[in-house]
Amino acid sequence: MLAKELVAASTVPLVLSVLTEGENYGYALIQRVRELSAGKIEWTEGMLYPVLHWMEKEALIESEWREAETGRKRKYYRLRKEGRKALQEEKQQWLTVHETLTKLWQPQIHST
Amino acid sequence: MATPNSFDLNHALHRWLAQLAQSPQVRATDLSELETHVRDSVLQLHGKGLSAEESFWVATHRVGSPAQLEPEFAKVNRKPWHLMIHGLILVLFGICCWFLWGMLHLPEMMQGLLAKAGAVNQVTGYGALPGFTQFLVTLRDYLVIPPALALAYCVYVWFGKSTVKNSWMGFFAVTLSTLVFLTLPIIIAIVLPVIAFMNLMPK
Repeated sequence: MLAKELVAASTVPLVLSVLTEGENYGYALIQRVRELSAGKIEWTEGMLYPVLHWMEKEALIESEWREAETGRKRKYYRLRKEGRKALQEEKQQWLTVHETLTKLWQPQIHST
Repeated sequence: MATPNSFDLNHALHRWLAQLAQSPQVRATDLSELETHVRDSVLQLHGKGLSAEESFWVATHRVGSPAQLEPEFAKVNRKPWHLMIHGLILVLFGICCWFLWGMLHLPEMMQGLLAKAGAVNQVTGYGALPGFTQFLVTLRDYLVIPPALALAYCVYVWFGKSTVKNSWMGFFAVTLSTLVFLTLPIIIAIVLPVIAFMNLMPK
């Protein structure tokens, strides 16, 4: 299981990344992240919605209420152009952290 | 004792939602979204073999307690105070511009009083308003432009889907600078005829 702080910090890039696969709704977003992380990333599910609403206010994503196959109304989220830009920036930052840690954790080559 | 079949999902769900609905920060659309979420979750858990009651318990536990959710919804749903400050600055700026517009009527009022007293000679121009004052008096109706621009900016901040954080301090700095820029020449334009008329007074 990941630390709470890391889960919180990765929520926005994870949501943006899942939405690059196409529009989706809250419950399915959580299921997708759970599936990709093999259950290692666990959100307090209800906490995702304020984040989604914040992202909507920041114009990163947009939403639409539609009728689902069950007959119930469901709110679908999709990426906006600004969201794609934000994802590129997030990607750069996370890759920088990843590369730095990978270099640090590589087995050291000891000179004889 | 309740049997597994006696569990009423709709009733349990409504009770759970009613708890959340007590918070003014959680909107009706938030509740609808959470309800759909819990129903989806219950359906999936029930499909895995859990009873309806167990599914409901696990689903609501995963969503989080009202105590956990309320502050998070409050953060995103509360009225952003910087938007209200923008409105307050706009109103004050509008009043100041209206006041300056009113002040630019003073030279003509003074001239009118002097004309009544016979201190203005239309032929020689004796006692007429100084050129700078006359120039600003002709421009006074254009004082509607700065508040109109400020209003347009506020409308953009309030209703536009801007990705930029709109700082009220920037808006305040611009409106204050504009007022200083407008007030100084207007004070000079008002003081000039007063000095000129004082010079006309018999010593």
